[in-house]
Amino acid sequence: MEPSESGTSESAASASRPSESRVGSLLALAGLSCSYGRKHVVFDVDMTVGTGEIVSLFGHNGAGKTTIIKNVLGAYKPSGGSVRYAGEDITGSSARANVRRGMALIPSERFVFGDLTVYENLLLGAANLKDQSRQETLLAQVYELFPILQERSKQLAGTMSGGQQRMVSLGLALMTSPKLLLLDEPSLGLAPAVVQQIFTAVRTLADDGLSVLLLEQNVGQALRISDRAYVMRSGRIILQESAEKMRARDSYWDLF
Amino acid sequence: MLAVTFETVRQLIAAGIVNGSAYGILGVAFALILGVTGRFHYAFGVLYTLAAFFAFTLFDRVGWPFWPAAIVGIVITVVMGVGIEAFVYRPLAARAGSNALLAVFVAALGLGIAGGNLIQIFWGAQTHSLLGISISPINVLGADIINIDLYSVIGGMLLVALLTCLLRFTGLGRAIKATRSNPEMALLIGVDPARIYLVVFAIASFLAGFAAIMAALKYSVEPTMGFRPVVLAFVVAFLGGTAKSPVRVFLTGIGIGLIETISSIWLPVRWTQLVVFVILVLYLISFSVNRTVFTRLSAALTGRA
Amino acid sequence: MQVASNYIDQILIFSIFALSLNLLLGYMGQVSVAHASFGAVGGYAAGYFALSHGWNVLLGALVGALIAGVVGAAVALPALRLSVEYLILLTLGVSSVLLGLFTTFAQLGGTYGLIGIPPASIFGHQLLQTTDWLVPLAVILAVVFLICHRIGESPYGRVLKGIRDDDKATLSLGKNVVLYKVVVFGITCGLAGLAGGLLAGFNSLATPSQFGFDVSLSIFAMVIFGGTGNLAGSILGAATVVLTKPLLEWAVSLAPETAALWRLTLYGLLLAVLMRLRPQGLLPEGLNVLKPATWRPSRSTNGSDEIVPTAVAAAAQEWETRLEVGESIAQEKQRERNWSDAPVVLEVTNLSKRFGSIVATEELSMVLRKGTITALVGPNGAGKTTVFNLLTGFIAPDQGSVKLNGEELVGMKPNRVANAGMVRSWQDVRVIPRLSSLQNVMLGVQDQTGEHLGPLFGNIPGVRKREQTVRETAMEWLEFVGMADFANSPAGALSFGQSKLVALARVLATNADVLLLDEPCSGIDTQWVDAMLSLIEKVREQGRTVCIVEHNLHVVDRLADHTYFMELGRITDQGTFQELTNSPRLAEAYFGTV
Repeated sequence: MEPSESGTSESAASASRPSESRVGSLLALAGLSCSYGRKHVVFDVDMTVGTGEIVSLFGHNGAGKTTIIKNVLGAYKPSGGSVRYAGEDITGSSARANVRRGMALIPSERFVFGDLTVYENLLLGAANLKDQSRQETLLAQVYELFPILQERSKQLAGTMSGGQQRMVSLGLALMTSPKLLLLDEPSLGLAPAVVQQIFTAVRTLADDGLSVLLLEQNVGQALRISDRAYVMRSGRIILQESAEKMRARDSYWDLF
Repeated sequence: MLAVTFETVRQLIAAGIVNGSAYGILGVAFALILGVTGRFHYAFGVLYTLAAFFAFTLFDRVGWPFWPAAIVGIVITVVMGVGIEAFVYRPLAARAGSNALLAVFVAALGLGIAGGNLIQIFWGAQTHSLLGISISPINVLGADIINIDLYSVIGGMLLVALLTCLLRFTGLGRAIKATRSNPEMALLIGVDPARIYLVVFAIASFLAGFAAIMAALKYSVEPTMGFRPVVLAFVVAFLGGTAKSPVRVFLTGIGIGLIETISSIWLPVRWTQLVVFVILVLYLISFSVNRTVFTRLSAALTGRA
Repeated sequence: MQVASNYIDQILIFSIFALSLNLLLGYMGQVSVAHASFGAVGGYAAGYFALSHGWNVLLGALVGALIAGVVGAAVALPALRLSVEYLILLTLGVSSVLLGLFTTFAQLGGTYGLIGIPPASIFGHQLLQTTDWLVPLAVILAVVFLICHRIGESPYGRVLKGIRDDDKATLSLGKNVVLYKVVVFGITCGLAGLAGGLLAGFNSLATPSQFGFDVSLSIFAMVIFGGTGNLAGSILGAATVVLTKPLLEWAVSLAPETAALWRLTLYGLLLAVLMRLRPQGLLPEGLNVLKPATWRPSRSTNGSDEIVPTAVAAAAQEWETRLEVGESIAQEKQRERNWSDAPVVLEVTNLSKRFGSIVATEELSMVLRKGTITALVGPNGAGKTTVFNLLTGFIAPDQGSVKLNGEELVGMKPNRVANAGMVRSWQDVRVIPRLSSLQNVMLGVQDQTGEHLGPLFGNIPGVRKREQTVRETAMEWLEFVGMADFANSPAGALSFGQSKLVALARVLATNADVLLLDEPCSGIDTQWVDAMLSLIEKVREQGRTVCIVEHNLHVVDRLADHTYFMELGRITDQGTFQELTNSPRLAEAYFGTV
């Protein structure tokens, strides 16, 4: 599934304004600004994620990537700009409401409930489903994607290896039956083989129509599965281009 | 003094379990509140006392039958507990930010002091008896106790078992454990912590209400009845672990009860009440020492860059 | 007259209790719900020595104060590392144990306590009436107030407030936090013991209920009412709590017993309401009753939080979008040559640290050279901040050595490392929010006479003189970073960028040779980045040695004379930034395989 505009490149300055936001984009941010109290972190960000598209967001630590997705989900209220989701303005809407709308966020740290078993973690994901009968179907899908989770379903999630915990968190997110997955540094601290496995799973999900906003330090792996990419520095978007074009760059040092 | 008969020990063990299950149930309630919500709910003692007074008034003064009076007493406690969270603690914590724990503690302290004295103003300082169930002696495994002791121990165990099942097998229970385990992640998957906090206050107030009615039946109803059990509940909650399973906290309570009674073999009664606090202080000292190691470890692990 | 003086005497005695608790809670941020039980130590000592040895109660109170001080200092040791909820519990436990101990000894009267303590006397004059006590108590209160004021509102108190708001940051600036905590616990508990001794003398008895848990709570309430961190407030708080009862008796003509209950009810409710409406208390910190200028909080004088200091005004907008690298290869080479010519200031050899099976740092060796900037770069999780923690003593390494100008730093506590001349900054800034910018920077200055109790009381002119120079030094550094206009603004009211500049000034004010800057440019807007970079370059020109951890690689490119590359706790490469970025292997380590 190819997103409508992948392959085109545009600079941040000429990024599409909200009025002309792309048709079919599931998520559209326009002029989004975010702050923690007096600390302004994100300035005037425009960004879109299409249905079934994987969009990578790169940038140095502290550039504001995590802040953006937490504001999109509604864990914090943006200080300016708008968030549109499936054509609806959801700026300032609560995390609970957005989860019900089909968003799921997996943070970069502490992304499982360590004191709960794998099975309990997964069921928590399904807690907000409108149709509870889908729980079993979803569970089967998650187990199919990550068989290890079925084997270890009784184990406390906190006692598993980092890679397995990542799978739990991804499974937990999938149990919410999401349309948009906000993934924060899933490769952090994992062995390359595990990263490959997780990223391949994410690509499979996107091919089935899931939209993904992927925050990564591991540019190489992320570009392998992404359709488009944005780069942030110190709270602003400095570049937007297709994954293909970005892969063709000699080096990424100057982007960070 | 050291010539202790088997009879005495059996009797002391029974008394320890009876007292300990009361401490345990209160400890479970306080641990649930502190572990999930982070509120140092000092006003807990007043709610405990109020449950007994409302039940007493409805039964003895208004003339209701005992069980409805007891249930309404507990329900009032639950409503007040939930109300305190919704209208006092929550707005205060939101305002105080990182100082929330201390701000909530001070407000709770205020409510505790005010509530305790209001009870005296309305009901007087005297001691009342709640004669809801006729007391009869009963022999369990050779130990002489009264029927109320048996009810309170069995009731306490049942409630702890119920709570454990709730936490383990229901969606609500998982949401409570999730909030306790990782509040930020809970928020991210759409659990509303504010709602969970109210539920937790309701459950904990219910447990406190039950313990209060049992204590009122066995001993008496008086304005200061809440102080000591509740201080012991704090101790039990911390010793048992505020993030641990109710069963473990309950057993800690029974352990404290046993230590209290068994130490009376060697120590005068006044000293046995001290033993618990000595254990607490020793525990905190060892905790402080271990914490040094722990904080260094976590600082190193989270201080990645 | 007797009735009125009875209440005044009580206010005077409880003011001492409240002042001492305020020093602990309001200034140093340590919660105690056991203050009355430290009073019990003094009260029982005074009573015991008076009854059994015929001592003057006042002398007994002094000895009791000493004993209470020692007990308090002992309690401080486990309290050092406990968070608020555990501290509440610890002091609750200590209170119960102390009171329980008193009631178990027959010599101390058991549950009844000590009764019939003979009246105190001063210069042969017996204090029989409540009016006789007025002057002596007022004098003692005045002395206690002066002691607390001297400790709290001085360079010493500045450190205490630093500990209260951020003990790690204070430790990193070279202050011996452990010593401060133990000493202040000791002093405040000693003063509580004194108050307890006086109370016992005044009432001619020392009983468990006189010093019970509810008394501890009422002292706690006095401090909260009056305002934490405001000493005059504590006296006001004591007066409020003590006088509620007679006021109720008089105004609503309640019977004394009912009035006592309503008094407690009222102050309980007031406590809950106050936390909601005015958590800072009746007299907020920093308000001086005698100086009308301080009656309004200084927060309001700082209007916009986005005022950019003059030095920053020339913002470099190009930072937003510039993609190409700024320097020529030749310039880089020159800087590298300068770096290798400079003398070594800090030498790190084979530094290793494991946490269980996790390798945090392994066989790490690096050097920092005088008047140069060294950068530590690497992917997330490489352990760069851990290296800073190891160098500054916040984490003890398993092996290896850190030599600063030849002096071994491994084994030193963080405050000693700072004293030795190496100071770190923090990613999350850690300014002391309730101190002004200037006070924050003053906290950084080393060797302050007023930070030691001896000179604080023994050499008042010397302390004043040194304080003047400290202020001047701090002001110079504030000017250096362009924040002089904000000297009197509370640091908590500054914007993030501004507080980063204040934090930089604070680190510079330590006069340390080696500065470890943890992400100096993270989380700040582009307009501040350029200002921050120019400042760090100026610091280099002054001959200081700088090491930065920074994720914004443009910052590294511009600043670093030499760069170390870190992966998984090891240094795997070094050179100029250009050299490193030309290595395909490092690109792979940083960005992953394509």
